[in-house]
Amino acid sequence: MLIILLCPLLAASLIALFGRLRGRMAAALSVLSAGVQMVLTLRLLFGGWDGAPFHETVRWLTLGNLTIDMGFYFNQMSALLLTVVTVVGFLIHVFSIGYSDHDEARGRFFGGLSLFMFSMTGIVISENLFMLFVFWELVGFCSYMLIGHYLTDVASAAARKAFVVNRVGDFGFLLGIIWCFWQFGTVSLADLPAAMVAAPMTAASLTFVGLLLFCGVVGKSAQMPLHVWLPDAMAGPTPVSALIHAATMVAAGVYLLGRLSFIFNPATLQVILVVGLCTALYSAICAFGQNDIKKILAYSTLSQLGFMVAAFALVGGMEGAGTSQFHLTTHAFFKALLFLGAGSVIHACHHEQDIYNMGGLWKKMPFTFGTFLVATLAIAGVPFLSGYFSKDAILLLAWHNSHAAFYILAFASLMTAAYMGRIIFVAFMGSARSEHVEKARESRFDMVAALLLLAVGAALAGYTGLYPAVLGEYLHANVPHPEGAEHTMMLVLSAALSLGGLLISFLLYYRPGRKLDTLERTAPGLFCLIRSKLFFDEVYRYYVNKVQQRFAAFVAFLELVIIQGAIVRGSGGVSGLVGIAMRRAHTGSLNSYLYWFAAGVLIFWLYSSGVL
Amino acid sequence: MAPVALNHYLIVAVLLFAIGFFGVLLRRNVIVMFMCLELMLNAVNIALVAFSRFNATAGHPMMDGNVFVFFVITVAAAEVATGLAIIVALYRRRGTVMADDLSSLKK
Amino acid sequence: MPEVLFYLFAAMTLVPALLMVASRNTVNCAMLMIVSFVGTASLFALLQAFLLTVLQIMVYAGAIVVLFLFIIMLLDVGRVRAVRGGAGKLVCALVFFVALAACPVLAILSSRGGAAPVGEAVPAASSAANFGMLLFTKYQLPFELTGFLLLAAMVGVIYISRRAPAAEPSEAPEAVEK
Repeated sequence: MLIILLCPLLAASLIALFGRLRGRMAAALSVLSAGVQMVLTLRLLFGGWDGAPFHETVRWLTLGNLTIDMGFYFNQMSALLLTVVTVVGFLIHVFSIGYSDHDEARGRFFGGLSLFMFSMTGIVISENLFMLFVFWELVGFCSYMLIGHYLTDVASAAARKAFVVNRVGDFGFLLGIIWCFWQFGTVSLADLPAAMVAAPMTAASLTFVGLLLFCGVVGKSAQMPLHVWLPDAMAGPTPVSALIHAATMVAAGVYLLGRLSFIFNPATLQVILVVGLCTALYSAICAFGQNDIKKILAYSTLSQLGFMVAAFALVGGMEGAGTSQFHLTTHAFFKALLFLGAGSVIHACHHEQDIYNMGGLWKKMPFTFGTFLVATLAIAGVPFLSGYFSKDAILLLAWHNSHAAFYILAFASLMTAAYMGRIIFVAFMGSARSEHVEKARESRFDMVAALLLLAVGAALAGYTGLYPAVLGEYLHANVPHPEGAEHTMMLVLSAALSLGGLLISFLLYYRPGRKLDTLERTAPGLFCLIRSKLFFDEVYRYYVNKVQQRFAAFVAFLELVIIQGAIVRGSGGVSGLVGIAMRRAHTGSLNSYLYWFAAGVLIFWLYSSGVL
Repeated sequence: MAPVALNHYLIVAVLLFAIGFFGVLLRRNVIVMFMCLELMLNAVNIALVAFSRFNATAGHPMMDGNVFVFFVITVAAAEVATGLAIIVALYRRRGTVMADDLSSLKK
Repeated sequence: MPEVLFYLFAAMTLVPALLMVASRNTVNCAMLMIVSFVGTASLFALLQAFLLTVLQIMVYAGAIVVLFLFIIMLLDVGRVRAVRGGAGKLVCALVFFVALAACPVLAILSSRGGAAPVGEAVPAASSAANFGMLLFTKYQLPFELTGFLLLAAMVGVIYISRRAPAAEPSEAPEAVEK
């Protein structure tokens, strides 16, 4: 267990110390560590772990009556996510070898990837909330470092934005952790359920704690209103987007929800449900207004995250956790595949990212096209691919619990299929729209291999029977299965939604040779509204520039005057004044010394006779 | 007249001390300052002897104060000698015995 | 009778002191100092410390003042303004004088036990003998140390008042040994 955790840290530190300049060695080291992680995880799963939770702690800090441990708490949920992280991570590492062959800062890139694997693994196996928070922040830092990997202004601004927005969410998260500790006396995930029973809170405060902890999820998993960082984070290299912002880090929020499933009461779940639904719907709409392939995928990720969060919030507890984790797993596979496919395309088209400059790639890059198609079908929910099973489960859960949610999620699924179809029909079908794209060729073997393996996962991840026993039984127990009549209804519904969406997009968007988006041409007002993303960024920027900066400037001024001026310089000044005053006594004149002497004697006399 | 008591002697001593101090403050000539210093020592001697006398009884003469004064006189003699030697050396180096001019410690 | 004597001797001590402070002529200062010392010695005699009376005259009035006179005449000072100039300085010094005088007087007057008149007379014959007895028993150590002190003072004085090595050996006045 420890090795799984520490191996990438070792790799990262070695790279940082030695490998900054030797790109190939760094790449090899990083891929090796990811591979070791994957092998060890699979060995753990297939080799006889019976699924019992594995709990181990070590005392780290003791401050008064606060003790913070470090340890592992490994149950089936964490096993699932660890598998996802290591397998998908390894494949993305392999892909990155090919993708970063032009990059000069290759060593730094792989160092960041390894560090990220370390932090993510830490989140997965953390035993208590403090340790989780430490790794949470570490993951945020890795995200910052990797988004800003190409040291351009755009990338740096995006990295900053990601980190700051994350921080806002983490502030609420930290408050929730502290309150939790204060109320229950422990933040250990293993001990919390028992502690909650022992020291119950009022319903209102429990709701509030749940909401605060949810703040962390809002930040990390980019729910509204803190979703603004994810599209901008696409400024980073594509493997980074695949690993961090599609498959794993953003899923950490959903994982947290699952880990803390016992703490959310119905009122909190209502709020979470609303947030998730809003995110899902809003992002699905926004995806139509974007032309950059990575941005479309980013909004798609946002939408799917909304799905996951809503899935959890429909029921809460183990069932909700199981369903959202299942969708997380399948999403990891097909989203990573989508991003890597996009990366392959971008790499081959010489860093062209606008889909309206691409076209006809299905002939030039057959493997990429094939895998991308598989992933699209999966995300659309076409029956018998992985996405169908997980989305099916979510819709079923919605139907059982909240019809309003069901309709919204169904509509969002339709839109998902539509905008993904848009990419296929515009970027892959038809004929090339620009010169670089004319010259595109299929990517290197190792990149294609990673794509193929992920495609297998994307296709088959829905069949829980194929999972190792421990995971399979967990999923089977916690994910709702349709039976009988429901089964057929779900099948029909999913087919309708997915194929219908693809059909819509075919009708709307299959215009080979046209360079302008259909919607933009026909309904420019609507298109502009969609593209504006409801002005979230503008509102935030206004707030930061006008309100927050002014306040910060005011505080800085206060600090300059009061702290620096009065207190620091003031106390120094007072000492200086005293010094100047004292120096007057040292005149070098015998006479004045005598006067001082007499004065001293007088004072003593007066004091001793009680007058003074 | 009231019989002479300890207080009388003490007041004399105090006045002599104050006069001596007054002289030290006012005079410019270092030698005269030194002489006023001796006055102060004298005042202390008077006080000591007075205490010694007024704490004695017929059977127990308390001579400790007197012995103290003995030592004070001795030390005063040594001090005067040394001090005057210093003044002489100072005069040889600076050519003055005016306290105002001996201000090389001044900034 | 003793009271009259007391006041007389007190005046003999204090008045020359005041005059000494005000006098311009340095030699006059020394002479007035002698008178003050004699007054002090008389006060000692009134207090029946006869040995000290003699010692006071011998050492203070005899040796120390002589030493002063030697130095005054050696360093021929000349007619310089004696007292520090400026009315301000005078007032300041007066203030201090009054304060220095007044505070202890007040303290003395407010304390108990000082107003009792003198006790029985101590036998005069045993005075010096008692003194010597105390000096050589209880205060033997300070006595020896004082010897050391005088030796050190003598050596120091000789050294300090040497002229620069190249010049002729000086006729520095040596301390009169007790």
